[in-house]
Order: sequence, then structure tokens, then C-alpha cells
Amino acid sequence: MQDTINKDPETIAREIVDEGIEKGLARLTPEKISKVINQVLTKETGARFKVYVETCMRCGLCSDACSVFLSNDRKPQYSPAAKVKQTILEMISKKGNVSKQFLKDAVRISHTECNVCKRCAMYCPFGIDIAYMMLTVRRVCHKLEITPLYIQDTVNSHSATMNQMWVKEDEWIDTLQWQEEDAREEFENLRIPLDKDGADIMYSVIAPEPKFQAGLIYQTAVIMHAAGQNWTMPSTPGWDNSNMAMYTGDYEISGRIAQVHYDTAARLHVKKIVMGECGHAFRSVYDIGNRWVGWVMPPFELIHSIDFFHDLLVSGRIKVKEKYKKTVTLHDPCNISRGGGLHHKAREMVNILCESFIEMTPNKEHNYCCGAGGGVINCGPPWKGTRMTNNREKGEQLKRTGAEVLIAPCHNCHSGLEDIVHHYDLGMEVKFFGDIIYEVMEKTIFQKGDL
Amino acid sequence: MKNEKTWDWQILKKEIPINEWQERFNWIEEPCVSPDGEKIASIVNTDDAEFSVCVNGETWEETYEKAWSMRFAPDGKLVALVSNDEEWTISVNGSSWETMFDYIWDLKITSKGSFIGAAVQKDGEYGMVVNDTIWDNLYANISGVVLSEQGTSAAIVQVTPMGQGDIEGFSAGIFSAAVNGINQPEKFMNIWDISFDSQGKQVAYSIRKNRTDYSLMNNNDLWDKNFQFVWQPQFIEKDSSLVAPVRLAGKWTLFKDGNPFWKKNYNQLWKVTVHNDSGKIAAIVSDAFGKWTVSENDKIWNFHCDTMISDLFYSDNGDSLVAVFKNKGYWDVAVNGKPWNIKADKLWSPIISPDNTILAARMEKNGKYQLIVNGKVYKEHFDMIFEPKISPESDKILLKALKNGVYSRQILTLDNIL
Repeated sequence: MQDTINKDPETIAREIVDEGIEKGLARLTPEKISKVINQVLTKETGARFKVYVETCMRCGLCSDACSVFLSNDRKPQYSPAAKVKQTILEMISKKGNVSKQFLKDAVRISHTECNVCKRCAMYCPFGIDIAYMMLTVRRVCHKLEITPLYIQDTVNSHSATMNQMWVKEDEWIDTLQWQEEDAREEFENLRIPLDKDGADIMYSVIAPEPKFQAGLIYQTAVIMHAAGQNWTMPSTPGWDNSNMAMYTGDYEISGRIAQVHYDTAARLHVKKIVMGECGHAFRSVYDIGNRWVGWVMPPFELIHSIDFFHDLLVSGRIKVKEKYKKTVTLHDPCNISRGGGLHHKAREMVNILCESFIEMTPNKEHNYCCGAGGGVINCGPPWKGTRMTNNREKGEQLKRTGAEVLIAPCHNCHSGLEDIVHHYDLGMEVKFFGDIIYEVMEKTIFQKGDL
Repeated sequence: MKNEKTWDWQILKKEIPINEWQERFNWIEEPCVSPDGEKIASIVNTDDAEFSVCVNGETWEETYEKAWSMRFAPDGKLVALVSNDEEWTISVNGSSWETMFDYIWDLKITSKGSFIGAAVQKDGEYGMVVNDTIWDNLYANISGVVLSEQGTSAAIVQVTPMGQGDIEGFSAGIFSAAVNGINQPEKFMNIWDISFDSQGKQVAYSIRKNRTDYSLMNNNDLWDKNFQFVWQPQFIEKDSSLVAPVRLAGKWTLFKDGNPFWKKNYNQLWKVTVHNDSGKIAAIVSDAFGKWTVSENDKIWNFHCDTMISDLFYSDNGDSLVAVFKNKGYWDVAVNGKPWNIKADKLWSPIISPDNTILAARMEKNGKYQLIVNGKVYKEHFDMIFEPKISPESDKILLKALKNGVYSRQILTLDNIL
């Protein structure tokens, strides 16, 4: 696993030109910089922030928790504590009077060298949530309008369309009807029921599905149909549960996204929301977006696909015709494992579905981030090279498994792991649980007497 | 739908079996029922990629390659979005409109059924159609379509082209509000939540000026204050003013015509509802994190729920303020701050009788659908209940329900229930 880049990675990263950052920096004045930083640090933070700042004693126990730190030969500047020191602590000590070069570094560190994966928080003796500190830096960047271009464009899409990929309203519905039509090749009376008032389940996805991976909607429709579920998908905005705004610190747009999502469920009078295989979206609708608007917990029962598929398999609503033959390993997405505790059910599913399972190490809530999460992959092509460098540890972890197939039940993980597999020439296929279930399931319709 | 007096309020029960439809067609989709309860209809699959509509057992002559979003208008017309030869239009009672589109969605029908509208796409351009007439101007994109009672149509439209990843162009403002296909001159970074006044003449909406400043537009006038965030505005007819929830210093309050109106600050405040005759104003609010209630004229109810308030509305005479809420995992109704305590798994907004004495709603509880009147649950349960109606004399309930494949239209006297 030879890294062919000979230049110092930090130098390479500092030389990257991101138009969103550069143009934003050019507009800034010292007065604007200090005003925004002081406003965020004094008006938008509270006791939690103060405790974190005053408690961290730079013990460095967080360092080895960070896969970016490990991927960069344990250079101290990549330690989570050092990332705080290089950003927030400088802002505090200089009372917001920081330079544009400092801000450029702060954007890079907070947006591209931290996945806000919270692994370090588990290793901190005080449980300091460094992800929260990095998100506070991103909030400053948002208010200074120096967010990286690609992820800002994604947030712009969220704000205008309520989905992250500029999917137009007619394109969304047309895609569902197209998938429904195709799926009728397998089940002639299969439906993707649109706006079915009073369905038990509203199924929501993230925008890459209609945009690039419509087959995933097809597969889920087959699973829903075969399992005899009373489900629906909304034809209106609110169908996309993803939320990059929460990762750029645009909490207002983040809140609107969550509001529209849950308002859509209320309009359809469903009992619960089942969401596709995505990790950050789970964090958004379960933790961040909902709480910004004032819902302590999601106002509707919210079920990640792992939980949902697990129930279908264990209850016998979906039966396995023949187990999947290739050796598989499982990547635990941070937001649904550390953040949602779904790793045990994920393993039970692997064992139901597959003949040969190889654990990666570390795993479950200790797993390394995919390296794409926290909006890092969404910072786009300018940052892909450094992302690959920062993902070396993840690549080595994957390689050690020797598995043929890598199951990754999260969209961001999926995309990031594909990049790692390609960059480090690992020769693995990356799949969702939905891919495996669709491949091994009996394509018959569940009847109540089958239980 | 003001012909309710002519409806049959005498025959206690009429039945239409629809289970035999399952045998006649490859499959039938979820049925809908006419306001007077006399008709039940479903989109049905008649052949490979061929659909029609079955009404009381009679199938429309027209067939379609696709059909969806079917519903009865309040005046009894049956409306659906339909497609043949990859062109879309609206079918009303089985007769398709003349104008065809490349796509059509977001069907809107006014409360008397006089106007039917939708968002449309034709040759990659976007607009609205109302009663078979498409806007003169079409745009690069459209969202948030609305239709006033008078047939005025409005939407958020993209008026400036934007290249991929052009965040500078986006910040400069590419969206306008268009009314009847004529866009307003002002462009903004974002526009949401268009509201009409009750005459359908004035429009107001939420706007975003830049990444951090939000405000309100009242027709062509921009409020001169910036806010941290805003939600949908509402007109007050009594004094021709506009109110909107705004966020300042991390707290929400209600502003009127750009100035502070309510005095209290809330953790959240949205879904403002106005009773025009009395001038009462109410909103869903959270006065402590995770605690939800209703504020009427800035005074909160002596009631809280822990999960959500989904709907809030006044009775016609303004005496009843009704909230649909969820507490500890169950849905319920509160009227003027007093909850029914029915603990439903699903619950639809109640309807209110003309004399304001009867509230009727439908719910699902433990897998069974039931009617609730003034908080009392009617004994009979069903596989599905459609929206009930109350007689003009406020003495009878029209119950429309499905059980064991048979649709029934029942007239219940209040004695049956209360």
C-alpha cells in the first residue's frame, strides 16, 4: 500500500485552491472576522463549550482514536486535540482577531481533516466531544461564507429544493414511477404507492438514489412488496432525509430540512418513517435537525433500514432462498453504530444472509470512520487526494480482512469506501444490505399464514 | 360543496361491495370516496401497462398508461393526473383536458371545486396550469405551488440560469415569486412559503437575502429588518396587515408588518392561523425545549404535549381553536386547550359542525379504524374510514367506511354515538 505522493501531505493540503473558500476570504475584513467569531463563541455556545475548553489538558489520548492522525504517521498536528488548538483555541485566545490564512487553515482542518465521527470522544477520559468543537468552527466558516464550494453547493440545493442533488420535483416522481414500472417485471402488481394517506410506513431516501442509484429504490420496492408492507413515498419535498447543512453549520437550513421531513410524515398520517441505508441522514433526523427546531426526539418513530430489514428477516417476512456465497466483511457506519447502536443487528443480518463473514478490526462502535463522513467527501474533487491520504489507515483495515465483499449500510460510507478500494487497489466490491437481500431473498409475496 | 342539504341524510345505510373489483381487475389501488359518500372510486389496472378508473363498479371509457393522485373535488368531480403516449394531463370525470404536458404534479383543488391546478413541465420548462390554461411564461424550475380560492396561482420560480456549482450566482439570487405566470422583479437567494390573502389578490412569502439574513416580502415590499430565520407569513384581513414568525437572538416571536407584535419569546413558533372575522391569531409554540403548546394572541394554553402539534385551526365562527397533537407516542385532539384523551395511533384533523357543537374525526387504534365525535369513540370499527361529514343541521354524521371489502355509507344520529 504505497502512497505515491512524496510531498508532505500538509503542504499539499495547504496548497489546494477551493473557490468557495478563496472568494469568501477575499471579501472578509478584520472587523467582520472578529465580529462573527465573537458572536458565535459568545452567543451561540454555552456551558458545554466552556467545559470542553477548560477541561481538555492536552493528554493526547484522543490521538490514536483518529484515523486521520494514524494515516498521517501520527504527526501531532492531526491529533484531535491539536485540531482544536489550531482552530477554536486560537480564536478564543486572539478574541477573534485572526488572519485570513488562519481561517483558510481552519476551514481545511474542520471540513476536511475531521469526519466529526466522534470516535475520539470515546477515548477522551472526560468525554470531550471534539466533533462538536469542529462543527462550531464550521459554524464560524458558514457565517463568514468561506465554506468549501462543493458542500456549499449541496447546501444550496437543500435550501432551494429540500434535497441535496438539485433533483427537480417532477424528476423525483418520474423516477419512482419508472422504478415501479421496471419492478413490475418481477412482480406484476408491484407498486410504489405515492402519497398514500394513512399508510403505516413513509419510506424516505437520500437524493443520490433518484439521481444516480435508482436501482436501490427498485430493490426496496421489491422488498416492501414481498414483505407485504403498507407503505408510501411522498411525491412532495420532504422525501430526502439527508442534510449537509448540519455539517456546514447552516443550522437554520438544517432545521427547515427536518421540519419539512416530519411535516410530510404528519401530512400522510403514517405511523413511522423507515429510512434508507444512510448514516448521516440518521444523525440529521434523529439528533441534529429535529433538535434545532425543538423536537427532543423524532416526532415519528424513526427506523433505519438495518433495523427494518433485520425485523423482516427475523420475523420471516423476508425469507432467504440461498445464502450469499462470497466472503463478506462489514463496515459499521459511525452515525448508526456509535450514534445508534445498530451494529449487533447488522451482524445478525450478515449471519442470516451470508455464508462467510470476516470481522474487520476494530469494529462495532470502535470502527474507524469511512473517511468520507461528516461532509468530508462532499467537499468534492479539490480535496479527494488529501482524503485518500487521510484514509490510509482505513484502507489497511479493509485489506487485513481479505474479504471479497464489503457491506456498507450508508451512502457516504459507500462512496468513500469505493474511493478507498480503488485508490488502494483492494479489489473489493462494496454493497448495501439491500443489494444482498435483493440477491438472496425468495421473490414471493408474504402471506399472514407464512409466519 | 354547499349543496349538502340536497344530500341523502335519510337512508341509514347504503352499501357498495368492492371486493369483487379484485376479481375484475389485475389490481386496484387505494380507493377514494366522494364528499357526499355516494361514490367510491379506485385507479384499476385493466391490462399490461393499462389503467382506468372504476367508480361504483363502472369503469371509465378512457384508459391510461399511468394514473395517480386521484381524488374527489369538494363538488364531487373526480380528478386524476393521467398519462398516455408519454404525455400528461388532468382527467376530470373521465374526460382529459386538452392541454398536454411532459409532466404534471402537485394537484390543487379549491374548497368549492371551482379551480383545479397543478405544477407542470413542458419541453423542460416549468409553470402552472389552472382549469386547462397554462401560464404564458414558463421557467427553469418551479416549487411551492399554491392556488387561491379565486383561482390565482403562484409559485417560486427560477428566473436566472445557474451553472453547476455556481455558488456565487446562487448567492446573487436566482428565484422570484410568480403570480399567474408573471414573476415579481425581486430576486432572492431563497423563497419559501407563499401565502395568499383571502381574496387571492395579495401574496407574501419568506425570503433569504444571503447565507445568514432572512426576511419577509409583502407583495413587492420587503420588510426592512433582517432575522435569523422566518416561517410562513399570514395576512390579517381585519387591518390589512401581515404577521410572521421570526427568530431573533435565538428566540422566536411574532412580528406584524415588520415590527414586534407579540411580546413573548418562544423556543419555537410556527403555523400561524388567523380567524379573520374576530382577528384572533394563534400559533403552535414551544415555550420550553421539548414542550409544545398553543399560543392564542400571545397567551399560551394551560396544556402541553411532549412530541408534536401537527395541525391548528379555528372553527368558522372562531369559538373553537382545535389542535391535533401527539403526546407520549399517541395522537389526540385538544379543543380550546382541553384534550380528548383518545390516544390514537393515527388521527386525522376533525371537522366541525356549522353550529360549532360537533367535532368529528377518524382515527386508527390497535389496527382498527374508528369514528370519534366530541371525544367519544363510536363502537363500530372498520378496515378504513374516509373523512366524515356533519349534516347542515348539525344533528347527523355521515360515516363513510370500508369493512371486509364492502363500502358503506351510514347516517348516524348523535344519539348513536354520544
